[in-house]
Order: sequence, then C-alpha cells, then structure tokens
Amino acid sequence: MARWIPDEPGEEAALLDALGINSTDALFADVPKKARIGRMGVGPAREEPEVVAEVDRLLERNRPMSKFASFLGGRISSRYAPAAVDAIVSRSEFYSAYTPYQAEASQGMLRTLFEFQSLWVEMTGLDVANASLYDGASAAGEALLFCRRLHEGARFLVPASLPWEERSVLENYATGPGLRVDTIPYDDRTGRLDLHFVREAVGRRDVFGVLADVPNGFGHIDEGVPELKSILGDVPLVVAADPLSLSVLEAPGNYGADVVVGEGQGFGIAPSFGGPLLGLFACRKEHVRSAPGRIVGATLDADGRRAYALTLVTREQHIRRSKATSNICTNESLMALAFVVYATLVGPRGLARLQASLAEKARTLASGLGGIEGLRAPRFDAPYLADFTVELSRGTAEEFLDRLRRRKVLGGFPLKDRRPGATSDGERILVGVPESATEKGIQKYVEAARAALAVSGRSA
Amino acid sequence: MTFHQARWDEPPVWELSTSSSPEAPPVIPALPEKLRRKAAVRWPELSELEVVRHYTRLSQMNFGIDTGTYPLGSCTMKYNPKVTELLARRPGASNVHPYQPESTVQGSLELTWRLERLLSRITGLPEVSLQPAAGAHGEYAAMLMVRAYFRDRGELSERSEVLLPDTAHGTNPASAAMAGFTTREIRDKDGSVDLEELRRALSAKTACFMLTNPNTAGLFESEILEIAEAVHGAGALLYYDGANLNAILGVTHPGRMGFDVAHLNLHKTFSTPHGGGGPGAGVLAAAEKLGPYLPVPRVVKEGRKFRLDYERPKSIGKIKTAYGNFGLDLRAYAYILSLGEEGLRHVARRAVLNSNYAASRLGKLLPRPFRTLVKHEFVLSGAPLKEKGVRTLDLAKRLLDEGVHAPTVYFPAMVEESLMVELPETESKRELDGYIAAFERAVTDTPENLRAAPRSLSVTRVDEVRAAREPLLSWKDLRVASAKS
Repeated sequence: MARWIPDEPGEEAALLDALGINSTDALFADVPKKARIGRMGVGPAREEPEVVAEVDRLLERNRPMSKFASFLGGRISSRYAPAAVDAIVSRSEFYSAYTPYQAEASQGMLRTLFEFQSLWVEMTGLDVANASLYDGASAAGEALLFCRRLHEGARFLVPASLPWEERSVLENYATGPGLRVDTIPYDDRTGRLDLHFVREAVGRRDVFGVLADVPNGFGHIDEGVPELKSILGDVPLVVAADPLSLSVLEAPGNYGADVVVGEGQGFGIAPSFGGPLLGLFACRKEHVRSAPGRIVGATLDADGRRAYALTLVTREQHIRRSKATSNICTNESLMALAFVVYATLVGPRGLARLQASLAEKARTLASGLGGIEGLRAPRFDAPYLADFTVELSRGTAEEFLDRLRRRKVLGGFPLKDRRPGATSDGERILVGVPESATEKGIQKYVEAARAALAVSGRSA
Repeated sequence: MTFHQARWDEPPVWELSTSSSPEAPPVIPALPEKLRRKAAVRWPELSELEVVRHYTRLSQMNFGIDTGTYPLGSCTMKYNPKVTELLARRPGASNVHPYQPESTVQGSLELTWRLERLLSRITGLPEVSLQPAAGAHGEYAAMLMVRAYFRDRGELSERSEVLLPDTAHGTNPASAAMAGFTTREIRDKDGSVDLEELRRALSAKTACFMLTNPNTAGLFESEILEIAEAVHGAGALLYYDGANLNAILGVTHPGRMGFDVAHLNLHKTFSTPHGGGGPGAGVLAAAEKLGPYLPVPRVVKEGRKFRLDYERPKSIGKIKTAYGNFGLDLRAYAYILSLGEEGLRHVARRAVLNSNYAASRLGKLLPRPFRTLVKHEFVLSGAPLKEKGVRTLDLAKRLLDEGVHAPTVYFPAMVEESLMVELPETESKRELDGYIAAFERAVTDTPENLRAAPRSLSVTRVDEVRAAREPLLSWKDLRVASAKS
C-alpha cells in the first residue's frame, strides 16, 4: 500500500503509549455500538502501478477529442493551453494550499487572485471582480440573487436561447427566495432578443434583473444587447460574456452592464469532461458589499509595504451565516490562476488575433455547410465569432451527429433541453470551431455532413 | 528549525511590461462597429520566461501542504498524492468534452459510476451524484432537494425552518437561507448537541436538521441515534455535513447514523488538492426517498454500457454546467483504489490518533473547553493569552514564523479566542512533535515577539482593517488611488 500514512516501526505504539492506551479502539469509545458498521465493501488496497493501470484501462474506453476532427464549442472550450500554464498550476505551493486565511503565509495566491480580479475588471469595463465562483452558470445564479439585492421585483428575464443547463441552474437559484425566471423571446431570423417584450415587461415594474449572453446560446452576437440598458433604466443588467470574445468586443461595462459573469474554462483549463470550470463575476464598486464570494484587496503590512488580504469578509458565510451574500467557501482559485497565466502568456494582442482567426475559420465552415441541401448554416442572420447554429430540415440532430462521428467528426452538440417533457425549436446543433481546426478538418466536416444528409435524403 | 519564506520584491504583473500602446483589435468582418472594442484589453505583453518567473516567484511566497504542516481545523489538509496529479492529466481524462457522444466517453462515465458506487458504500447511502463543485454547493443542492421533497408532499409552506447546532459551519445556515429556509441555531451543551434543546425546537415547521458528525469541536455526537429518531419523529429530514467524514471512515457512516442526505468534500477526506481555495468537489449522497431529487443527469449502467439519464421528473435539475468536477473525481477514485477498505479504516484511526496525541500535548499549553476524547480535530482556547496582552491572532501569526501553518482561528465561535487544530493521518509523529514544539515556543514567547510576528514571511503583519476600510480591489483601483495622491 502507498506510504501516505506514516508507519515507521514503533511510531504508532509511541503515540498510543503517550495516551496510555494500547489500541486505537479506545479512541472510538464515543461511537455507540448500534452506530458501528462492518465492512464497507471497498475492496483491497492496490500498489501505485496497479492503480495507474486500472485508471488507464478506464480512460482507454474514452475517445478524446484528438481522435476526431472536433467542433464542440459552447461554454466549454477545447482551446489549446500553452504548456507553461500547467507548469505553473502544477506548482504545489499553489495547489496544495487552501483559501488564504493567513494572509502573510499566502501572499503568492493572494497576489495571483488580485491580478485575476484586475484582469476581469479590465476585460469587462466594470470596477470590481471577485476571486471566482464555481462556473459560468452558478455565477449567473449568484448574479440573479445579487440583482435582487439591488432592485425590487419578482421576475428575472433571460433569453429563450440561453443554454438549458444555465436556465435550470438559474431556476434553482431563483426558487429559494420565491423568484421567477422568465423568457425573452427572440426574432426567428436573427435570434435577437425581442426588445419590445423587454420594454413591456420592465414597464410592469416587477422585473428585478435581466440577463443577456454574448455570444448568445446560438453562438451569435446580438446587436441589440448594447441597447438593453437604455430600456432597463435602474433595473440591473447582467451580461454573461465569453472571455475570449471580450478581446474584440466592446466591454459590457461601457454599454451599461451592472454585472458581467462568464465561464472562464477556455483560458488554460482543460475541458476534463466538464470540470473543474471557472465562474467569473464583476460588478460596480458601489455594489461591492452586495457581491458574492471571496474578494482580495490590496493593503499594507506593518512595515508599510504593499500586501494583500481577503477583504470585505463581513459579506461572507463564516461571519454572517444565514445573512451572508452567498454560501461560497471553496471557490475555484487554482482555475483563476490558470486563467490569468493563460491570458498573460497569450497577451491582449494574441487573444484578439486568436478570436479573429477563429471567426475566419468559423466563416469558412459555415459557408461550406451552408451550401448543403438539408442544412441551414448559419441558422441565424447575425454576426458570430467561433460558434454558430445550424439547423436540419430533415432527420434529427442526434442521427446527423452520429453519422458524422462515424466519419471521425464531432460536429457539435444538439441544442435541446434534456429535461423530461421539454420541447425544442427545430433540430439545431451548436457548432464550435476550435483553434486546432485545420482547413483539412473543416473540409472533412463539410464532406461528412454532405454524405450524412445524402444518406438521410435517401432514407427519407 | 528556522524558516524563511522567499521574499521577492516582485512587482505586480502589469508593472513588468513597459510598453503601453493598446492597439485596436483586428477587424472582424460582419461585426458591427458599435460592438467592436476600440482598444485591446489593457494587460501587459510579456515573454513566456517573464510570465513563468513571475508566477514561480509568487508561488515561492505561498505556503502549501508540501511546504509544511497545515493543521487547519475542518479543512483536512492531508497530503495530495502525486500519482493522482499524474492521472488527472492523461489526455484520456483531460481532453474530453462533456458534450461528446456517450459512446465516446464510456471511460469517464464508468469511472464516475464506479466512484459513485464506492462512495455509496462508504456513506451507507444508496444514491450518489458527483455534480456539486464544492462542499457548500453540495449543501445548497441538498437543501434544494429537501425543499423539492416537501413541496412534493404538500408540506413546504409549513416546513419552512432548518435547525442547526451553533457549532455548524457558516456555510450551513447560508446554504439553507439561499434555499429559502429560515434558520434557527440550537445552543450546544459542552460542545455537543443538547438533545433536550433540539427536541424542544423540533416542530411541524422543521424541514431539516443539519449536523456535522464529528462536529467542529472535534466531538463525536454520541447521541446521534437519538437525534435521528427525534428529527424523524417530527417528520423532518436529517442532513449530514461531510466535512469531517475523515474521522469515521469504516467506523460508522451517515447511513447507519440515520442521515437522509449528505455532502462529502472530495478535497478533504479523499485527498484531492485544495487548490489555494478550490476547485473542490462536493458529492451528494442520498437515502432512497431523496434519490429521485438528485441533480440530473445521473450515470446509469445498462449491460456493459453507461449513459447519462435525464428522465428524472422529480430531480431539482442542474446546479452546474455539465456534470461534476471530473478532474477531481478521478483523483479521488485513484485515492480510494490505492487505500482500499483497510487503508480507509487506517486513515480514520491514524487521524484520530494524531489528533488525540496532539490534543493531549497542546492541552498542557492552552485550555481545552470540552471533553478530552476527540476525533479528527480539537479546539483550544487562547483566552489565557490575554493576560499577557496578546490574542489568538498573535499566536497564529507567530506560528507562521515556525515554518508551519496556523490552525483555524476564531471558529467555533462559542469558544473564546478559539483555535481549531486538525492534524491528518499523513503527518508523522516527527512532524507532530515538531508542530507541538513550535507551538510551545510560540505560546511561551514574549508579548512583544508575538505582536511583532510574523517576521520570516514575504510580508510582515498584514493590515486587514485597512484593506476593508479603504478597499483597493484591482489594478484599476490602484491607478485611481495613485492618480489622486
């Protein structure tokens, strides 16, 4: 068995001796007999090589994205992370520490988190960022509760195109305080939010916040989003923004966003089957005392030198308990480290160039797919950056994707609410173009799509 | 041992780069002018080596388990085995998208399913979901499940109250409140639940009693079976905060103790790294009657194949994008495989042995407010330090100078000037004796030295009051502040 528990000869006996007992049984005398258990059924211990072999055996049953021409996008990205990101994240001074409660011993992580907060502030055009939340969806959930602290009302409006998982998370955050998540319809041609609907809803004075995502759940950029704040007035606007898109898009703080949340996984964090992820949250300084999560502040040490500490802790659960702004304790610090290291390695110009290159590749793919009968690509007449929606006029999205898979193409994922009884608007697929996409891979997708639809045309 | 942490005069990352000509980003055709960013994000342009040096230097000013003993109570700062880091970075684990077709992710699904089965056996609760990203996230999801359960039974409007002991972690009342419950704290009796007090508080209004066992005073709640009976007798549910599961692995489990739903912290009991404050993983385990309310999707096995099941009409839905924190699930799976049944039992026995050994020694230096038989952690009171004009905070800072981390301080709150010490099973007797000696030097040091501590870290005492009074929360704030001065 691994030597993770010290067992030097005589060691345990010496500890027992010091306590005047001869077995650890005495230490569990306070556990009533009726509460004791027998065997758990966990199996025998294994040596390290056996464990490696067993985990590898399971992982061999996966076929990672590298085995395919992969076009999986959405909130979780397969963007390449420079090796230096993992080299830093692998430093155990960072990963084997915990929340920096003792500031003096933990300046490294505190400074990193301060840099991370600063970066999200620069990207969003807002004033204050927290030190991370679990993921983009839970960050949106926290934003919902945050808005309710700023404004009266019972309804929170979200786009109908919002990914269903996020919608479901938001509904959970809304349910405790008895709030409602309502849907803003979209224009069928462009996917844009129906601003008349928003104006009317806000006019009824029961809306306490509105969320818009950039790009939206269809992958497209909604040109109406910058106009929202003029409709909302003092009703808070939450923008859920993809961080890479902010390298080329106007900072949401500059068009009136009061909160900007996002999923930060694409910045140096492997997709790892969906976790860990990284929730991003920024707001205006006047609202900081209502903000959720840990926040790092700059201060001085006893010698007057610059130092950093967790701050504004009277918002938090360990002080305020049931009155806290959030229950957050553990967040995603190490992922915040990956985010800031990634962004600094790539640099602001590099990020913008990367986004421009993805947009170029996405256009090539969309125009290739657009020429195929039975496919509308892109489905919406709206700008896009790396992701876009295609719609099938026959067959199901799942069948189509399965045919692509057999040709070694992961063609995206179906835009379908997976909850029982849910319905979807059409057979739609979100296609995402990763940085690794080559001209050949794009061509392969187009050919596979043509072949898949030719088959379904025959069988129809 | 003398300790000197690295003290780099390392400037913030933005001061490393001197060029500041934020050019406009490249024009993306079809993107309307009004949506375009006019200037690139304001952030430095550095070489890879400069970036690597910067963050390497910062890492050297950070204290982790690999640096030294880290006895934060209720955090279970045990060794994070290196082999688990290696495995989590395999491309077959990391380069897998959650929305790949199920046929291409059978390995991830099987590993998830296997880990769920193992955790079910360890907790004695049949239904498990790995979705929550952290302990508090798991608590919150569990409270949403409690809510959905009573809504289904038409009792939600009446059962609006969650009870907890005053020893509860702050996340418990915060999670219950977020899920829409009012909370009421039960006063402890000598650090444990006062059963009579609990019985008086239970009523037709009670939805749930949230309990950590062993609790944050390090005491096993010996009346747990009576507690469960009382809670269930009132028609309420019993929730297990698994933060302290490490102490009872293989001895008892939430199922046997009568809990209906539990969360576990893989980053505590099952050795996944704490990451400087996350990522964690906050597994949910539920009794049969609460199983249908767990988040979707659930992983199911059909023949030799695994798939994601969303057809759970009673489910609370999602609490996070995709599934759990798979990278951490994999580490925990490797950990459990390595230790096996006997190893996990040994974990609890050694952790409790370490704890009692250290408690008996440190109890000679500072008073212990509760009974002496403890589990994985114990509480001391720094109140006597006040006689010489110092506080627990000074002692904590002085400990840092010894090359060890401080215990959790000022929690639990019902003990004056409290210190909560947890020395997990991975600390050898040598390390324990070293910690005890360091503690003794610190406690017996002069008031002047205690107040002047720390002196051997990258900074001296950090002014946290100033940080809160004049919040400087980003580079932008620093720019504004320096423009003013």
